[in-house]
Amino acid sequence: MNQLIQSLVDALSAGATLGLAALAIGLVFGVIRLANFAQGEIITASGYSIIFTWQLGWYVAIPIAILIGVILSLLMELGVFSRMRTATPATLLVASFGLSFLLQRVYELLFSNNVQTAPVAPELAQSVDVGGIRIQLLSVATIVIAGVLLFALIQFLNKSIWGLQLQAAAADFRTARLVGIPASRVIGLSFALSGILAAAVAFVSTVQTGAVGPTFGVPIVILALIGAVIGGIDKIYGALAGGFLVGFATSMLASWLPSDMSNFRDAYVFLLVIIVLIIRPSGLLVSGGTVRT
Amino acid sequence: MTRGLWWRLGPLWSLVSLLLIVYAVTVVTSYLGESVQVQFQYALVNLVIVVALYMFIGTSGVLSFGHVAFVALGAWTVGLLTIESDLKRNLLSDMFPFLFEVQAPWLPAILIGGIVGGLLALLVAPVLMRLNGLQAGIATFALLLVVGQVLTYWSSIGPRSGQSMVGIPDVLDLQTTMFFALGAIVIAWLFQRTRPARLLRAAREDGIAAAASGINVVTQRVIAFALSGLIAGIAGGLFALTNRVVQASLFGIELTFITLAMLVLGGMLSLSGAVIGALVFSVIDLVLVRLQNGLEIGSVIVSLPQGTRPIILGAILVLMLIFRPSGLTGGREIVWPFRRTPPLPGVPPTNE
Repeated sequence: MNQLIQSLVDALSAGATLGLAALAIGLVFGVIRLANFAQGEIITASGYSIIFTWQLGWYVAIPIAILIGVILSLLMELGVFSRMRTATPATLLVASFGLSFLLQRVYELLFSNNVQTAPVAPELAQSVDVGGIRIQLLSVATIVIAGVLLFALIQFLNKSIWGLQLQAAAADFRTARLVGIPASRVIGLSFALSGILAAAVAFVSTVQTGAVGPTFGVPIVILALIGAVIGGIDKIYGALAGGFLVGFATSMLASWLPSDMSNFRDAYVFLLVIIVLIIRPSGLLVSGGTVRT
Repeated sequence: MTRGLWWRLGPLWSLVSLLLIVYAVTVVTSYLGESVQVQFQYALVNLVIVVALYMFIGTSGVLSFGHVAFVALGAWTVGLLTIESDLKRNLLSDMFPFLFEVQAPWLPAILIGGIVGGLLALLVAPVLMRLNGLQAGIATFALLLVVGQVLTYWSSIGPRSGQSMVGIPDVLDLQTTMFFALGAIVIAWLFQRTRPARLLRAAREDGIAAAASGINVVTQRVIAFALSGLIAGIAGGLFALTNRVVQASLFGIELTFITLAMLVLGGMLSLSGAVIGALVFSVIDLVLVRLQNGLEIGSVIVSLPQGTRPIILGAILVLMLIFRPSGLTGGREIVWPFRRTPPLPGVPPTNE
């Protein structure tokens, strides 16, 4: 029983992390049909900045990480994706693959192939005893951070003019433009928000590992992208739910698979993904229709 | 009359010119010293992978990140079949016992590797080929990751995780590799002209119209996918004999990305694009490696800092996608340069 609760908390936290990462991908995809594989490199950049600036205090490190995430995200849009507006989603995905590869090699050149380490928020790495159940503080913190961010984001999307414009553009970009929603603002906004989310993901991941290397963001973005697609990348909340599901399933499988099979954990997750894609190609949470491409 | 003859020979020229280009580049590199030869042999193996990718992606217009999984299976098969029994018993002791005994000479081994790759492709195709666009990309990507995991961790069919297969014989030289590359090009060219390929190209241009004309798109895609899986498997066998060390981590995202980049660079809608993309990419890579090691031009040594090579390659791909998304060849085949092309009736002039 205790073990079940422990693994549930861990799985919730893993799901929350990937949910945020998938949400970042879904936000951008909804507006410009880009499944941004290079989102992982935004996470890596924020991760590096957290590692390098943590000793200055969290109140310095976290704003800088957010700033770097947002700036890099906007730079990608301005430098690359804004010049590819007519490309198909598949071409955009390949381009983001290329960008991701390119940035990883740049990180290698700048920060070497080895991981950079620093104890980030070591107080969160402890476990606490709650009625005989050992729970990682970080897991709780992750769930709280994700919850707060989501609440703020939902408020923003539903209550502010900019948020509503973003939702409209994500639902139907062309019609949104026809009714006078400024395209560049909405696109920039979606990239900026995805940069903020990347910084949040980078924070919880660096606390967990305490180390960042050139490919830090890759495993995160692979699972998040897959999650976003099976949840329904076309819908903001579909992407969120899909990411959460993949994170949750991965963590649960890690806790409960017999040890001689746990090596194949990811293989099971990916098989599940294929099955979901076959049964519900447009996403688990999307009713009918296919993804607009 | 003359026009009729050109009509027949024109397409043939698109094949012959590609064969000549590959042959010529191979001959030139074979004079440039051993290290260049070795590197170009890898380039030819990559070329075969790119041709396999083209056969599916170019014809059907569906993205596949999964072909490297078939490459991996081909390499794995050739590794298992060509390493000596005693060596296998010692180094790969966890394997199923019958795998110690099976052996084959390298040439049949390559073909068996191709068949294994093709069989996996045929097995998964009926399911995967129902997907389009991004979903197809993600599902084939998941396939790549599943195969990677299984090959990494299942020690009953290979080395324990983190270890590699060694002892693959040194039998493949540059010339033989070139013949395989030429063969792959011929097969792809022949395939282009078959009915399934034509139907797929029609479906690529307009899926709804093709389906309305009675084309069963899934069936045609399965054929193309299995055939290109076979070629990818053969490429895997060539890779095993070239690299002579096989490890699951070699067949991951990086190889997928590099071969896709080659295809995109050349133009993914034509065989010329696949071949020229692979060659241009490889030649740039050759030059960059030279430059990284320091190149003497007269008395000056030009050298690039270590680590800049992949950055330049990545930048080339991204710039290419921005400024010329249809690739170097623009998705067209090479045509006989001395032909006067009469305007076809009913075809509007293209603005390029």
